[in-house]
Amino acid sequence: MKARAVKGIVVKDLRETRRDRMAVFWIFVFPLMWVTLLGAIWGGSSPPVVVHVGAVYFNESAPFTASTLIGIMENVSVDGQKVFRITRYPDESAGLEAVKAGRIDVLLVFPRGFGKNVSSGLQGKVYAYFDRSDPQKYQIASGVVKGFFSEFEREMAYRKLNITLGYVEAYFPKNLSANFSPSMVRAYLVGMMDPIDLKEEAVTGERPSPIKFYVTSFIGIQFLFATMLTVSNLLFEEIEKGTLRRIAASPATAWDFLVGKMLSTFIVITASILIGVVYSKAVFKETVFPGPTGWLIIALSAVFSMSLGLAIAMGTRSMKATNALVNLISMPLLFLAAIVIPESILPRWARPIADYFPLGTALKDLRLLEIYHRPPSEVFPDVAWIAINSLLMLLIAVLLYNWAIKRLQ
Amino acid sequence: MRAIEVRGLRKGYGDFIALNGIDLDVDEGEVFALLGPNGAGKTTLIRILAEGLSYDSGEIRVFGEPLSKKTARLIGYAPQESLAYDDLTVRENLEFYANLYDVPGKRVDELIERFKLPAKKKAKELSGGFKKRLNLAVALLYDPKILVLDEPSTGLDVPSKRELWELIKEFREEGKTVLLATHYMEEAEALADRVAIMNEGKVIAVGTPEELKGLAGNESVIHVEGILRGTEAILREFRAIERENVLRVSVEDARKALPKVVEALVEGGSEIRSIRIEEPTLEDVFLKLTGRGLE
Ligand SMILES: Nc1ncnc2c1ncn2[C@@H]1O[C@H](COP(=O)(O)OP(=O)(O)O)[C@@H](O)[C@H]1O
Ligand SMILES: [Mg+2]
Repeated sequence: MKARAVKGIVVKDLRETRRDRMAVFWIFVFPLMWVTLLGAIWGGSSPPVVVHVGAVYFNESAPFTASTLIGIMENVSVDGQKVFRITRYPDESAGLEAVKAGRIDVLLVFPRGFGKNVSSGLQGKVYAYFDRSDPQKYQIASGVVKGFFSEFEREMAYRKLNITLGYVEAYFPKNLSANFSPSMVRAYLVGMMDPIDLKEEAVTGERPSPIKFYVTSFIGIQFLFATMLTVSNLLFEEIEKGTLRRIAASPATAWDFLVGKMLSTFIVITASILIGVVYSKAVFKETVFPGPTGWLIIALSAVFSMSLGLAIAMGTRSMKATNALVNLISMPLLFLAAIVIPESILPRWARPIADYFPLGTALKDLRLLEIYHRPPSEVFPDVAWIAINSLLMLLIAVLLYNWAIKRLQ
Repeated sequence: MRAIEVRGLRKGYGDFIALNGIDLDVDEGEVFALLGPNGAGKTTLIRILAEGLSYDSGEIRVFGEPLSKKTARLIGYAPQESLAYDDLTVRENLEFYANLYDVPGKRVDELIERFKLPAKKKAKELSGGFKKRLNLAVALLYDPKILVLDEPSTGLDVPSKRELWELIKEFREEGKTVLLATHYMEEAEALADRVAIMNEGKVIAVGTPEELKGLAGNESVIHVEGILRGTEAILREFRAIERENVLRVSVEDARKALPKVVEALVEGGSEIRSIRIEEPTLEDVFLKLTGRGLE
């Protein structure tokens, strides 16, 4: 390889790119556009859950009534955020209308006598009507509402238990063996009522931040697909100008030429990636800055996609056909290779694409490294796999280049 | 010594035969012109020699050696179209090719000075004449012994054309061999030591301009200028070329033919500005050989 020829090609391409206003525009605008879009649509912390509850109840004069319960519900908050937004309806049919119209997620109907029953220690009935048109919304609403009721029941049960234990202590025979004491009875009753004591511990570990995820998506889009388009367009510029024939006739070899074009492309796209990475830090306060292994993966898979782009360009020798083909290949792959969406939501048949298609592997590994901070040794087998594929693809591109040059005349 | 030897060269583009058995010898140190109309196959021939374009059969030697990547270094090529990248300056363009051919950087300065090129101007801001000169500078980067120029002055105005011709004459004085393709008879006559007339993929005559004109025998040419009408009859009866406001009629005996020509033109309603009897040019020779004009 002739280093000077490669350098010449790179310097020339970069000078041309720097002076091409459209190119500069896209290098800046693409990252800003992608990061803003991805970040705004999917990023940020998820909004707090709010369940819209409709309530129908009757006024009663008992010490504890449906109205008291609804009042408690209204004040439940998590992390300072009210969980339930309550709307009161005069009767059941008005409430059901609201459920059907999607104005509320659930309608709670407290029949007449609810307060009187509960106040006197009996069972109170409640009817809950959930809107089940959206399964996900239903799961959230029913989970939260049922959670509230079971917490509420537990609270009531403990109060009843304490009252009951008061009687037990007052009338407990004093001469029973030490093995049988009021505290034992209490423990036994608590066990019966509440057999499992689930302790919730908040652990703040590596949170897979959505912003970081989408910064890696953006990096993927840029080095997988922007490189493919950029490198093939750089090639077509030389073909259209007639300079490719000249370069082919010069002492520079196919390798010199292709390596030069790839380096130019890689430098341009890296600049664009850096802009996106820094922009995400500035706007969303979070970003991913790849480490050495990350960059190795980026470089290797960029070689893969650039070689693929060049192979398509050489094979079709038409700019229009190339752009169409690159889009046709890349659009589905953005999803199927889990580049802009998490692999976990892929259908089963698409998993192998994400796992074995080198660009899918690259993104998966990049995320393991940069989001989950796994040690580089974990991804080395994958890196080897990507490297082999990239080399193969590069070889194909070189062969096609030599084949195409003869047909350019 | 022979700078270039071509024997039985054939080249087709698909079914179309662009070169149909070319034989050619270019001597070291001469300016050799390929003269022929558009489509004659001049560029194809040149690109086989200078760009490594593939060919179907035939033999080519450059200073005695078969054409190869090695002999490529002996040939500098200035194609018809500009080689320059528009957004790069003259110097940056030359630097690019210097890197490609691994030529020392100071050669770039030498060439900028020699061709009086505006180093800092972007290629897209250059006039046609300077673009051609930049092409010449690129062709001369590695100081080749043979210069191959395709239509070097096509598209230039008269003063730029003259300047360029002076440069080409200088190359010859330096001992370079120049092979140029042109469809301008004047260019071949002004520059070439020897001319090969090409038509439809064949060389139909080779010689010095004088020798070639001899092919016209003792013919002379009636050259008429003006707003010409009624030329159809003349074109039918005589061997003649008509171009905008000019009619050239090749005749054995000018004194006998002149009245007929004038009569036909006047009857057609022409406004004749001038008439003169001339020696035949290369174009008239071409006309005699092929029955058509060069343009
Ligand atoms: N790449 C090509 N594919 C097909 N035909 C071509 C190609 N290049 C040239 N030709 C044809 O070959 C003939 C000779 O062309 P060319 O060598 O350019 O002639 P010239 O330079 O004398 O005008 C022309 O008829 C032209 O149309
Ligand atoms: Mg030509």
